[in-house]
Amino acid sequence: MTYQHIIESLDCSIFHEGDEFAESEIRDVVTSDLMSDVLLADTEDFILVTSLSSDQVIRTADIVSARGVLLVNGKKPQAGMLKLAKDHGLTLLGTSSRTFPACVALARLLEQC
Amino acid sequence: MTTLPFDTLDSSLTLVELIYRLKIKDAMVRNVHTAGRTDSLRTIQKLMKESSVTGIPVKDGKRLIGLVSVDDIMSALDGNYIEDKAEDHMSRNLIVLEDDMPLSFAISYFEKYRYGRFPVLNKDKELVGIISSRDIIVSLLLEINKEVERLERENDSGSQQTESGHMVRRFMVKQLDFEKAGKASTEIKKLLKAKGIDTRLIRRIAVAAYELEMNLVVHTHGGSLSITLEPDHVEIRAQDRGPGIEDVELAQTEGYSTANEWIRSLGFGAGMGLPNVKRVSDQFSIQSKPGEGSLVVCTINLPQEDSHDDKPDD
Repeated sequence: MTYQHIIESLDCSIFHEGDEFAESEIRDVVTSDLMSDVLLADTEDFILVTSLSSDQVIRTADIVSARGVLLVNGKKPQAGMLKLAKDHGLTLLGTSSRTFPACVALARLLEQC
Repeated sequence: MTTLPFDTLDSSLTLVELIYRLKIKDAMVRNVHTAGRTDSLRTIQKLMKESSVTGIPVKDGKRLIGLVSVDDIMSALDGNYIEDKAEDHMSRNLIVLEDDMPLSFAISYFEKYRYGRFPVLNKDKELVGIISSRDIIVSLLLEINKEVERLERENDSGSQQTESGHMVRRFMVKQLDFEKAGKASTEIKKLLKAKGIDTRLIRRIAVAAYELEMNLVVHTHGGSLSITLEPDHVEIRAQDRGPGIEDVELAQTEGYSTANEWIRSLGFGAGMGLPNVKRVSDQFSIQSKPGEGSLVVCTINLPQEDSHDDKPDD
């Protein structure tokens, strides 16, 4: 799936378009509010889904080479988080969906696209 | 009023050391313009104007007997006695400093008294200089600049070559500095990328560095994170200044954590840090002494051209 699919399906706000926004192919999803668990994830080309809106989310996403971050539950990025996303060229999206429906929608997209 | 940062609980040790190490003679102006006791206030006023100073010590031979300040000159102009002799109107109850005293004395004198400058005497009570708050600012700025440059060199030493021709880099990590937490690991990741190392290996190394960096921020009084890049392996080393780990075995158990709720709210403190570092490393060691500090060293092997000893990710 692409960012465009995600944005349409979950009616996302785009806080920042990362370096490879248009051409990114997202093949997996990692969902956690615990960054320690995100560090354990062993997968590639994934988007990180979380309701945590701190700087450390972007740091963690960068360390594990996530393609981007999707904030759920209507969370807005804190100022530092947005700046870091820009610095690291990471895509940062937001949706008002709760974590579970957001993940269900993403799972359907992964199957379809 | 702001408490000056010396000899207080939140004083930086480096600063305290600096203002005690620096002596008044290191900061004072030595080439002092002086006047004699019989010089007129008019003469002194001209001398002030020519030499751009706001206070002229008055001497009798080698002995300091008083000081004429801009205030005294203004009073003289106002009271019409500007042609009078210095000794008739100068300030006599002088507060003086000694040239061998630490700079901290001068700073506290400026805090305590409202004077703009203090004459400085040597051991033989001879006038050897004069010190103003400006002189203190200048000397402190010069010294602090030297000190900061030294610390910067020491802390973020850039890339150094090891004996085998490879690279070492060290980053300082501060306690509870969540704003910068992860920055060192991000730098390490960039560095490895620039060296053209395989992306899966970079991720393992970055995860180890990041977990150790977060540990330094969350659990220690601060310390350093360093990376050594050798031809066949990468070593990440986290060294801290305490408090040390009571039970090293327990600390390596999955799910065990001493992190508080606040740290957990940031997405950390799940007790997965050290186990995760171990998971991504080929070699792992930890040494700790309660009350002193800990040293965690982990190594990740780099694949050699003729072998494939790369450990899988899981």
